[in-house]
Amino acid sequence: MIKVLNGGIEIVVEDWPGRVGYMGLGMSPSGALDNLALQLGNIIVGNDPGEAGIEITAGYCSFEFTEDRVICLTGTDMSATVNGKPVPVWEAFKVYEGDQLQFGHFADQGFRAYILIAGGIDVPLYLESKSTCLFGAYGGFEGRKLKPGDELMGGEVADQDALIGRKLNPQYMPEYKNTWDVRLIVGPASVPDYVTEEGMDYLFSHEHKVRHDSNRSGYRLEELPSFFFARENGGEGGDHPSNWIESGYNMLGAVNINGNFPTLLIGDGPTFGGLMCSANIIYADLWKIGQTIPGRDKIRFIQTTQEEAKKARIQQLQMLKKPDLVM
Amino acid sequence: MGFNLEAHMPGLVARVTCEVGQEVEENQELVVLNCMKTEISCLSPKPGRVKEIMVAEWDEMDVGIPMIKLEEL
Repeated sequence: MIKVLNGGIEIVVEDWPGRVGYMGLGMSPSGALDNLALQLGNIIVGNDPGEAGIEITAGYCSFEFTEDRVICLTGTDMSATVNGKPVPVWEAFKVYEGDQLQFGHFADQGFRAYILIAGGIDVPLYLESKSTCLFGAYGGFEGRKLKPGDELMGGEVADQDALIGRKLNPQYMPEYKNTWDVRLIVGPASVPDYVTEEGMDYLFSHEHKVRHDSNRSGYRLEELPSFFFARENGGEGGDHPSNWIESGYNMLGAVNINGNFPTLLIGDGPTFGGLMCSANIIYADLWKIGQTIPGRDKIRFIQTTQEEAKKARIQQLQMLKKPDLVM
Repeated sequence: MGFNLEAHMPGLVARVTCEVGQEVEENQELVVLNCMKTEISCLSPKPGRVKEIMVAEWDEMDVGIPMIKLEEL
């Protein structure tokens, strides 16, 4: 149905919420890094919101269709073209057998784009999910990123022509930026036992640049000052004050402290380990991490509460059900 | 006529795989960038001769920063 001509930087099959229920066994949930773009696109093409799509990181890739399909592109605008002609983002359109879909590079804001296909993607479910876990080499399409020559099959679809022209109501369009406001709940390794008051002030008052060595497992931020830590060492956990005795990580969205580097654990990230987690990104803001450009964008943390986090999560889930979401 | 090979991803220069004076072919790897813990090849857009290497290992790149100056053959 869709064949990869040029694999670009990283193209993977991901669904949402990924492979949940196995974190206790050490298996990451994976799933779309911008779950909002994936879900909105699926709704536009009439799929279940969590159906698998193709996640494109940074662009520079191309595809050929081997059958007629209605598709929708979401996420950042990578100046995609079909047979050389520009195509819309956030709007369903039809592609025909032999059409070539080409992506340029990522825009000034946003790092990932999604291809959602009416009928979904027919890859085998592995532990109830179609998501690829790159470091574990399982799920998705043969447990790996896509390369030239790979062909993905589409699921069953009825009356797909009725979907053409459906588009996202602009009022619900996610806003992409270069400095992202991300809401955090503090804990479990926090003030005063693990982090100093000054350290927590630093976390919430600075813009943290995302390092170039960020990927689907973790988004690494610039170094924290040593006054961040309340302890001199990790005690029985190790020499560095970021060490502690191995425990489960609050996936997704833990702010894990690796030495002096905070790392946001996302998608394919680890589910347990011996480094402290000082805060957690709220569910409603997880999608922002996937659109953050490594080596360029900055993140500003905003402290919030469990009550506010729950409210934001419910609001986001309700938004996906609004009757005027798609026009 | 000269042309430049520019970085197409933000990242760090992992290594330069060409030398000044070397004749290179289209799509020949000239620089390797490290981004997302992945090594990404930067290929010559067309045949040419390397005139100047403008980057070194560990230099931080963003999209559009010129890395290699080439002249057409």
